[in-house]
Order: sequence, then C-alpha cells, then structure tokens
Amino acid sequence: MTLLILRRLLGFALTLLAISAAVFFLMNVLPGDPAMVILGIESTEDARAALRDQLGLNDPVIWRYLAWLGGAVQGDFGVSYSFKVPVAELIAERLPMTLALAGLATVVTVALALVLGVYAATHHGRAGDWAVMAFSQLGIAIPAFWLSMLLVILFAVTLRWLPPGGFPGWDDPIAALRALILPATALALVQSAVLARVTRSAMLEVMRQTYIRTATATGLSPARVMWRHALPNALVPIVTIIGMQVANLVTGTIVIENVFYLPGLGRLVFQAISNRDLITVQAMVTLFAAIVVTANFLVDLAYLWIDPRLRART
Amino acid sequence: MLEVSGLSVAFKAGLALRGAALTLAKGERLGIAGESGSGKTLLGLSLLGMAPEAAHVTGSVQFDGQELVGAPETALRSLRGQRIAMVFQEPLSALNPLRRVGDLIAEPLRLHRGLSRAAALDRAAALLAEVGLPDPTARLRQYPHEMSGGQRQRVTIALALACDPDLLIADEPTTALDVQVAAHILDLLRDLSTRRRMALILISHDLRAIARVTDRLAILYGGDIVEQGPTADVLAAPRHPYTQGLIAARPVLSASRDRRQPLPTIPGNVPALADLPPGCRFSGRCPVELPHCHSTRPTGNPACHREAT
Amino acid sequence: MRLPANLLIGGTLVALVLGTAALSLVWTPHDATRIVVAMKFQPPSWSHPLGTDQLGRDVVSQLMVGARNSVAIALVAVLLGGGIGTALGLLAAAVGGWVEEVVMRLADFSFAFPALLFAIMLAAVFGPSLTNAVIAIAFINIPVFARVARASAAQVWTRGYVLAAASAGRGRAAITWDHVIPNVLAPVTVQLTIEFAVGILAEAALSYLGLGVQPPTPSWGRMLSEAQTLLYLAPQLAIWPGVCIMVAVLGFNLLGDGLRDLSDPMLRRAR
Repeated sequence: MTLLILRRLLGFALTLLAISAAVFFLMNVLPGDPAMVILGIESTEDARAALRDQLGLNDPVIWRYLAWLGGAVQGDFGVSYSFKVPVAELIAERLPMTLALAGLATVVTVALALVLGVYAATHHGRAGDWAVMAFSQLGIAIPAFWLSMLLVILFAVTLRWLPPGGFPGWDDPIAALRALILPATALALVQSAVLARVTRSAMLEVMRQTYIRTATATGLSPARVMWRHALPNALVPIVTIIGMQVANLVTGTIVIENVFYLPGLGRLVFQAISNRDLITVQAMVTLFAAIVVTANFLVDLAYLWIDPRLRART
Repeated sequence: MLEVSGLSVAFKAGLALRGAALTLAKGERLGIAGESGSGKTLLGLSLLGMAPEAAHVTGSVQFDGQELVGAPETALRSLRGQRIAMVFQEPLSALNPLRRVGDLIAEPLRLHRGLSRAAALDRAAALLAEVGLPDPTARLRQYPHEMSGGQRQRVTIALALACDPDLLIADEPTTALDVQVAAHILDLLRDLSTRRRMALILISHDLRAIARVTDRLAILYGGDIVEQGPTADVLAAPRHPYTQGLIAARPVLSASRDRRQPLPTIPGNVPALADLPPGCRFSGRCPVELPHCHSTRPTGNPACHREAT
Repeated sequence: MRLPANLLIGGTLVALVLGTAALSLVWTPHDATRIVVAMKFQPPSWSHPLGTDQLGRDVVSQLMVGARNSVAIALVAVLLGGGIGTALGLLAAAVGGWVEEVVMRLADFSFAFPALLFAIMLAAVFGPSLTNAVIAIAFINIPVFARVARASAAQVWTRGYVLAAASAGRGRAAITWDHVIPNVLAPVTVQLTIEFAVGILAEAALSYLGLGVQPPTPSWGRMLSEAQTLLYLAPQLAIWPGVCIMVAVLGFNLLGDGLRDLSDPMLRRAR
C-alpha cells in the first residue's frame, strides 16, 4: 500500500518534470526570437541583443532550463517583463480568485451531477431520465462563455439581480460571492452535463449487481441502497471523469474570467500574451498543466481510497 | 405462516409465473426445483415484493395473515430482512465489495434493531460464528474479496440471519461452489432452520441439494407449479412427465451405470416466455402428450391431463 | 431497420450546418463583411432577417460565413490531428515493444495540455493567429486518435487470421493495410464525428478569446466576443451565434453517438 503510493508519487514527480521541460523547450526552441516577440519588429538589433543577453538567451538551452527549473522549485519563476515584479508575486496575488471560482464551480458541478445522475438512473426510461439526458446533451453542446452571456442578459441586464462582471475584492465577502455566482453557475452547468451522464450510466451498471439486491432484501430504504451501496460502487468511473474534467475546468476558468472580467490567473495570462510577456506566460502555462497533472494524481489516490480491492494489489 | 395463492407475474412478453399456489408452515423446509428460466428466482423475489419493475404481479401472498401483493413499499421494507430474508446466488457478487463484512452485517442490525455500532458488531461476530466461520472477530474487518466463495456464502447467510427472520429464501445458494463446500452450506442451512425454527425455501435446479435439505418439494416449469408433495415421495415416485424427465436426466455417479449409454435428457429447451404454449407449458416437449395438452391448461397435483383421466 | 433517433436528429442538424456552409460559398444575402455604419443595429426585416450588428453588417450573412469557417477549421484541424494520431496508433499496434510504449506514454502525458493552453503558448511565441488555433486543435486530437486506433488495431492483431497471415510471411505493413485498417475505420470514423464537435467548440472558444479567427473574418466565436461588449445595448446579437454553435455541436455529437450505436451492437443492447 505504502509502496503503491510511493510509486505513484514518483510517477507524479516525473510527469511534473516532463511538463515543465515540454513547456520550456516549446517556448524557447520554437523558431522565433523571444527578444523580437518582446520588443516588437520596430526594435533595433542592438536593443534585441542587449535583451537576449539580459535574459540569458545566449546560454545553451539545457543550461537555461536547469536554471529556470532550479528557480521554479524554490518558487522563483523569474521577473515579469511587463509588470516588472516577480512572476510568483503576480500569481500569488491572483490565485485566490481563481481557486475560489474553480472550487465553487466544482462543488456545484459534483453535487448537481450526482443528484441528476442518480435521479436519472433510478427513473431509467421514464420522463425524468429523458429530461436529464436532454440536459446533458445540451450542456455538452453549449460553450460556457455563451451560457455566461445568456446568464448576464437574464440576471444582470434584465432582472438586475447580480452584477454582470468585475470583482469587488474580498473585503466584502457577500459582494465577492455575488460576483462569483454567475461565473460559477456557467462553469458548473456545462461541466455537470458530462458528469451527470457518466454518473447515470455508472449507476445503471451498479444497480444490476447482486449486492444491490442483497441490500434491498435486508430491508434498507431505497435512498440508503442508492447513496450508501450503489453510489460508492459507481464512484470509480465518476472520479475518473472528474479527473479528466479538471483540464476543462482549468481552461473553462481561464475563459470565464475573461467573460466576467475577474482578476484571476486567466485574465493574467491574457494580459501577459498581449504584453508579449513570455516569462509570465511560460510560468502560467506550466502552472496550469501542473494543476491538471496534480488533479489526475489525486484521482489515482482516490481510487485506492474508494476500492479496497485496488489497495490489495501492490 | 406463508400462503401463496394464484400468484401470477406478467411481463410484456407473457406470463412468467402463472397462478402459483404454495403453503409453508413455521419451521418447514420447502424446495423449489426447475430449470433456469422456469420462474424460480422470480417466485422468490415476488415473496419479498422485489419483482422487477417491469413485472405486473397479481394474486395473493399472505404472510402471517398480512397481504404482501400490492402492499405499500414501506410495509414490505419492514418485513424484508426482519421477517423474510433472502440469500442470492453468486456469492462472489452478492456482497458489496467496498464495505467490510462486519459493517455489512451490522447495518441492518443498527437500522432495524437500533443497536449501537459496538453492539451490532458483537452480534455480527456471533452470527459469523453461528454460520461456522472460524475466528469471527477477525473476519469482521475483512473485505469480501479477501474470502473464498464458500466463506462469502456463509457471510451472506449470516447477513440474512441478522434480524432473526421467520423465513429464509435461499436462491441457488451453492451454484458457484465446489461440491464439498456446497454440501457444507446445505447442511448449514438445514441445521439453522432446525435450530432457529425458521422456515426455509431452497430454490435450486439441483434435486440432490433439495433432497438433502427439504421436507417438501414443488417442481416449477415455464411458470407453472407442475407437481408438489413430500420431497422423498416426489423424488421416489414422480407423477408429472416433466418431473420424471428431470429425475431421469440427473447424473448418477455409480459403478453400475453403463457409461456407454448417453445420459437421458429432456428433448428441446425451455421455450422463451413469448413462445410458451397456452395449455400445459410442457406440451411440445412432453413424451406422453395428449391432443388437448397444448391448448387446455391442466389443473390438480400433478398438473397433468394424463393424471386426471 | 429503424434508424435510431439520435442518428436521425444528428444527421439532420449536421446536414443543415454543412448545407449552410456550402451555400455561403456561392450566396449570402449580403456581403458578410461590408460595413454600413448608417444601417447599424437594424431590427429584423425582410432584407436582414436577423438584423444587423454594431457596424451595420448583416447578421445572417455573417452566421453563414461563420458556419463555413467553423466547419473548415474543425475539418482541417481534426483531420490533421486524427491522421497523425491514427498513424501513430497503427504504428504502435503493429510494431509493439518500446515504440508502443513511447507512443502511449506520450499520449498519456499530453492530457496536461488542453487546446487552449497549447494555443496560449503558440500565441505567446508567434502572436495570435488562425494557424495557431488549427495547430492547437490538431494537437489535442493526436493522442485521442492514437489511443482509439491502437486499441482497435491491437484487437485485430490478436485474431487468428492475422496471426496466420503473419506466420505465412506477410509483412507488418501489408497486414496493417489488408486487415487492420479496414477494422479500425469504423471506430476512427465515430471518433472523427465526435471530435468534430469538440473542434467546433474549441474554435469558437479560441476565436472568442482572440486566439483564433482574426477580424474581419466572420466567426461565431468572434461575433460573440464583439456582442459581449454590447450586452446592454444589443443583447440580441449574443443569441444567434451561440445557437449556431449549439446546433452544430449537438448535431455532430448526436451523429457520433448514433454511428457508435450502429457500429457496436453490444453497446446498443446495453443501453
């Protein structure tokens, strides 16, 4: 068991190393002169040469990667070219916003998907099941950013219940939460569409098993049979999809922050792109990819927690 | 105690159970035999009000004077596990793989009897001891996958016994087990029934299993009970042609059997639900069929037109 | 045989989208990019069935050209990524050993880079462009198709007649061509249809963020990003491009589901 976790941990560390290398080499070896990107075509060759020197671009790329990696593991991602402050500081400033949005969206997604999925499975073939399946098909087909705009038209423009965008800061928690309701809802509705569908089919599969009959035959209530016996057994596929959805959640958050003008990491990366701030973009892409990898590592651990049969295999 | 009359279960394709009638006294052991697809399992499930949703159940199942057919779900639920318990086939998949054995057995005790967790686990250990599992306290912490098939079947029996039911329905409890383990499980069921004065319904395709355990026997074919009576009498002198065929088709291990002779079988297969004949379900496969067997349903015990004439 | 409902609905929606895209090549009610400031924010009329936008451009014409652009971009990107991915998957299954290991490890690893992240990297290095969007969408399709192709191909390689052909001295390439590819075609086609839907969604998102189709070329995603600044003034402009995206994605998804049900009777029964 411990050995198993250690092995997973090693794989996780190697994957993190690999993505950092992939991002670094992609952004540094691709044809293109970072100095040209940063300074623009109008810049003089002298200025570009000076910048290349300053950025250490004349060193061999492996050497630069190792230097960057050495800094990164200590939390030093270099200094942003456009903001003139350490990238780590920029990220730390905006991370709470993004985490709050992603966290809220995830909680709503999972809750909604489990309720809808279990409901559809227990009403298999009836109207409720069809309604959930239709919701799921539509949710998969609707881009989160468009849904956001529809929500803004309805709740901000027409009804004026909630703000259309922007973020008032954390000093007023109620206002902050109000600013997050629409973005989190847009993300959650779209994400839960896929998850509800998976929950439904996983539950249908589990409900055919004999141990569900056994539980019913011992006189347990249908709710207890569903939530305590069936759902835990359906969790492995559900958790798998949750892990796969983290990639969508990360990109979804980037997009949604831009829809609602929320000052999080997603806004930062676009500001960095338009400022041609390669150092910041590189750090952030690595961070986003690392989040996805971490989520999948946690999913791997979750399997072990859910299913004792997997724990037994070392 | 249990009185079943005119119990029918209809699916879209046809009647899977046609007016079954059975009685069972307290502590009595009844065997229900038949090929797969004869409606055995469905009969067992119907007694618990657990027939599939697509099924339409009519007739009467009286348990201690209470009518179960059409009874509200809550009433059925308070009977399940506490008065009537069921053990399913496939011990490999009959236990929730994610829960410890102790928690599985403790769950109904805590919910129905209101026992504390510690008390429920104590009781669970006692039940495991009663079904013959050595070292029951250590077993409580095991997961089902850590046990053998026979051990798991003992656990499912312990789970069924948890709230001291008056009737235990065992559906093919020994199919997935090897012969020796199966014999132990069958003896356990018989002894438990005697010791606890608990009625037992043993559903099986295996006549030897039924002979080993039960006092009375009902033969099911195509949703009809074709013959019933004391187990020993039915097996010694079967009267329905289907029962006769079933007994003849039973493999006998003996030195005297001529091994060059093929094992006798009943020709054909049990037809699909929609293709069952309207009269005697066995017509078409019956060696002694009469002209009206196909269209007219025989009554009586055995339910056979030949017997009636 | 009765066609399943999802195949029918999906096919109809897809035909609608493809038909509109094709039609836009030869005819649109107006020039989709012509700016007539005097005609801005026109309500629906006979001449402009869905009205005009903030620069007086006809909305229907823009949507039609947008359909063509979306379909073209998704088609190029998915075929490119799908082709490379399928080839890698076939190679992995045919050669096995360390080649298979490397290909599948890379496929496992690439999940960390969703299309948007890849497009962000490319945009940072080269500046935003349509080409980058196409490359990004193609890239995420490579591992998807590599997995699908390898999984189906690996099954074929275990079959008796393939083993017989191999022992009779047929080369791996010849066996792949004769036996493996025909069997891999069905799952790859199903996946193409579904990834087509994903591609349309990804193109819309990238164009919305300014990382895809650049102005003045009409695109559903770009129309939405322009409409967003006008939500108070002209909310109607935010409706139709989204509906178009939804119809296209829904259509390809349903069609993909329907095709999968057709090609996989086991699955159809399980549902």
